[in-house]
Amino acid sequence: MTAPPPSPSARVQLAAVFRKEVRQTIRDRRVMFLLMVAPLIQTVVLGFAVDFEVDRVPAVVVDRDGSAESREHARRLLADGTLRRVGAVASVAAAEEELDDGRAAAAVVLPEGMAADLAAGRPAEVQVILDGTDPNRANVAGGAVARYFGEEGEELARARLEAAGVRPPSQIEIVPRVAFNPSLRTPPYMIPGIAAMLLLIVTTIVTAMGLSREREMGTLEQVLVTPIRPLLLLVGKMAPFVVIGFVDVMLLMGAGAWIFGVPLRGNPAVLVTGTILYLMTTLGMGLLISTVSSSQQQSFLGGFLFALPAILLSGVMTPIRSMPDWLQAVTLANPVRYYAEVMRTTLMRGGGFADLWPQLLALLLLGGAILATATLRFRKRHA
Amino acid sequence: MSEPAVAASGLTKRFGDFTAVDHVSFEVEKGEIFGYLGANGAGKSTTIRMLTGLLAPTSGHGRVAGHDVATSPEAVKASIGYMSQRFSLYLDLPVVENLLFFGGAYGLSGTALRSRAEEMIELTGLHGLADATTGSLPGGVRQRLALACALLHRPGVVFLDEPTAGVDPVARRSFWRLIRELAAGGTTVFVTTHYLDEAEYCRRIGLMVDGRLVALDTPAALKRAFVPGLVLVARGRDLARAAPALLGREGIRAVTPFGAGLHIMVDPGRWTGEAVERALAGAGASGVRVESAEPSLEDVFLAVVDRGAKEAPAP
Amino acid sequence: MRERLRKALVRIGGMAAKETLHIRRDPRTLYLALGMPVLMLFLFGYGVSFDVDRVPIAVADLDRTESSRALVDALTASREMVSIGAASPGEAERLFRSGAALAVLVVPEGYARDVATGKRTRVQLLVDGADAVIANQLLAKADGLVRAETRRLAGPGLAGREPPLQVKVWTRYNPGARSALFMVPGLAAYLLAIGAVLLTALTVAGEWERGSMEQLFASPVGRLQIVLGKLLPYLVLGMLQLLLVLAFGVVAFDLPIRGDVALVFLVGLFFLVGMLGQGLLISVVAKNQLVATQAGALSAMLPSLLLSGMLVPIQNMPVPLQLLSRIVPARYLVQALRGVLLKGNGLDVLWPELAALAAFAVVILGIATARFQRRLA
Repeated sequence: MTAPPPSPSARVQLAAVFRKEVRQTIRDRRVMFLLMVAPLIQTVVLGFAVDFEVDRVPAVVVDRDGSAESREHARRLLADGTLRRVGAVASVAAAEEELDDGRAAAAVVLPEGMAADLAAGRPAEVQVILDGTDPNRANVAGGAVARYFGEEGEELARARLEAAGVRPPSQIEIVPRVAFNPSLRTPPYMIPGIAAMLLLIVTTIVTAMGLSREREMGTLEQVLVTPIRPLLLLVGKMAPFVVIGFVDVMLLMGAGAWIFGVPLRGNPAVLVTGTILYLMTTLGMGLLISTVSSSQQQSFLGGFLFALPAILLSGVMTPIRSMPDWLQAVTLANPVRYYAEVMRTTLMRGGGFADLWPQLLALLLLGGAILATATLRFRKRHA
Repeated sequence: MSEPAVAASGLTKRFGDFTAVDHVSFEVEKGEIFGYLGANGAGKSTTIRMLTGLLAPTSGHGRVAGHDVATSPEAVKASIGYMSQRFSLYLDLPVVENLLFFGGAYGLSGTALRSRAEEMIELTGLHGLADATTGSLPGGVRQRLALACALLHRPGVVFLDEPTAGVDPVARRSFWRLIRELAAGGTTVFVTTHYLDEAEYCRRIGLMVDGRLVALDTPAALKRAFVPGLVLVARGRDLARAAPALLGREGIRAVTPFGAGLHIMVDPGRWTGEAVERALAGAGASGVRVESAEPSLEDVFLAVVDRGAKEAPAP
Repeated sequence: MRERLRKALVRIGGMAAKETLHIRRDPRTLYLALGMPVLMLFLFGYGVSFDVDRVPIAVADLDRTESSRALVDALTASREMVSIGAASPGEAERLFRSGAALAVLVVPEGYARDVATGKRTRVQLLVDGADAVIANQLLAKADGLVRAETRRLAGPGLAGREPPLQVKVWTRYNPGARSALFMVPGLAAYLLAIGAVLLTALTVAGEWERGSMEQLFASPVGRLQIVLGKLLPYLVLGMLQLLLVLAFGVVAFDLPIRGDVALVFLVGLFFLVGMLGQGLLISVVAKNQLVATQAGALSAMLPSLLLSGMLVPIQNMPVPLQLLSRIVPARYLVQALRGVLLKGNGLDVLWPELAALAAFAVVILGIATARFQRRLA
């Protein structure tokens, strides 16, 4: 029996893999552009594009009354900016045509004799025709009209009661106070989510395809015949992307603060910890995907098959609370969900470790499980 | 006697119903150049992949550099060098980065790694190319770089899987010069090839047919064992027209075109060179000259495959 | 001439058959390409909605009277908001800070007295603005519910009479206000964009990467024929995806098809040709698959998701982005699909969209072919 040769130092091996990955990534300027600059551009564009606040809904008014009063109602209804007048048409049929052709999404019909009816104490009925293809927009537009005429009606009723000598009832008023984001702007809320999303797409797909590429090119076999341990190889491959992901997060947060006024109210250490743990899950997922794929094309598709539901079920785009219970349960296994929570809570709510330890722990557990599975699968495939 | 550098006993690999390597046993001595021959798909690469720890054997044992491939693959990997069929290098990196990466993977670092990389660049004649992008180099240069990467850590055993596929003849010859120097220095070389002329450089040759090792010996002994007849080379005009007349005659084993001439294998008791010369001339050839020749490994290979085909397939 | 055309078609067919064989030999790609739409539809159809539901609110009822409890009940009756209790404002504040409550309702002391005497009374609602979507909806919901409570409290004096102004809302095309009907056409555009651009970019970039493209060019098959042949199976795959998405939408979500089905596929075809051209262009420029994916994601996937009007209405965007959205083909596909499926529009209405898609396809294919020829020259 020959004495086993001294086992190569893990540090040296790790450094070699790290150096090689960095060299390969840096050498290709286009890759660097796509990893660093592209996410920045996307964040800025998305920050401007994704605004769930509905306003300026194109609307036509059919004023069949034509009185000074009805014109005044139309003017005040449009004054708050939810609806934007794109024209006035004479008939309901003409209004419907505008809707059909997509020039308008709402039509407000003020009935004939409206002013006279109201003056005489008769009820008047205002019609709203909505394009329901976008339910959210239809809701907001319909709500704006209903709210305006509701308030007007109440004022009228109150005035009539007073005129009749009846004491009007008490009025309850809501005094709203909005914490953390008083002007309710979308960007401070979306940017952290977008960062989570972009980081996922960049890191998962890059690692998944990177390993598949080595397999396609045959270099993986050449590496596997060296005494390097699979875990070391995988960690070494991931490490440069942790750095890149980190730089990405800093760039995105910088752009967010500078362009959109996204604050950083909480403990930056939580953000750093969360980012490292999150990158562990996304990169690990990339490696896991590559162990079950036979080509770069498949790795890419697999990366997407993971990334798309992960984004949809993360609460970034739509509230998790609005999902059915069973889907809410599924989101518990979604790293993007936890990272988005970490980001939003540290940035906006000023949260610290005391508030976010469950999310950080969840990321740690998920990351550990994903990496362990990836390493096992990798070993199994190459043993 | 010291332990062999490579030892396989009953090594077997099955993929589902398909047996790629079927109970292969052999030993390779230290400092030996061992050739592993066979057609594509005969099981050469699979054998190498098992011996290098890339594939786990279905059954049987392999020992390389004193370590069991199944129980301590890490120790095996640390003591061998491997060069795969496709010279798998990072084509997007410079030559020196490939060397530094693989050196690091084998645990070399710092000045030891740098000076060893320099040495390998010298040895394989890559001077001046250290900073060239690997993908821009011709096949022969890439092949030498792949060898350099496999030798960085001074392995005792080197596995070369089809190292010269797709490389021009001049580059092939200089590559083999390197291999022989390596073996002279005490390194064991295990090489697969389908260039039969290259196999002549090997001290011993194993022949694989359909996953089984059907022959194993020195080239000379193989020729004696598998080509018992006399090999004659005929030259002259109109040989092709005359050749059919020889076929089917008692004692003529095979007639194959060989360049402009004919390779004729005969039973030595029945035929002599003069007899063949007369027979060919009688069949219409002119200016016929017949000489006896050394059988080539190609003759051996054809004989072995021929025999393998005649035998009943293994159960 | 005829003979040449026949030969060209045979060769394109041959390339297409080779590519199809590649796809069929490893059907995982096919499963992924067809499985993705189904999964996405499923998630979008069932999982994604902006409606608030069961939002936890902390209630600090400082009045503790029947009236104040009635107000809290009125606010939480629909279960869009649920009370998670709390007594003191301090405790409520703690729940709010920790994120356990997304809003705090503070009913002031003397609420019942004010209501009884007909005075104006104020309740405070503290809302977590970090999630602007939820916050906005909460405020609107609370406002409506409190208004209703006011009317109820007014008793027969006010509530009994018919309000003088009534609003009647007619919702056309999607009266049930179902998100799925809104999402399916958008989703179709998104999935087609991903599939067509990225798969073609990858498969062609793969040929460059492995060097097999040069080998193909050495064969007598014309270069354009090679490319057409490679793109053809992905065109078919894209049409299959469209069919699958629509079929799933019809079966699972009762998606109506009010217009002409043929028009749907015509629009889809125009869109796909443009997307394949974009994929080809990317592959020529990118040369390797990694760069091709990221470039594809940047130029096709994100614009199709965010600048197409699929999720976010285009008229809400700043003007530069609205202009940018005009060169995103998905915008026209989404508009056309919604028009045909939900509104029953015909060519008379949708010809501008169709023309825009055709223009995009012609321009992008022109550029791609030019770059392709130049690369080989």
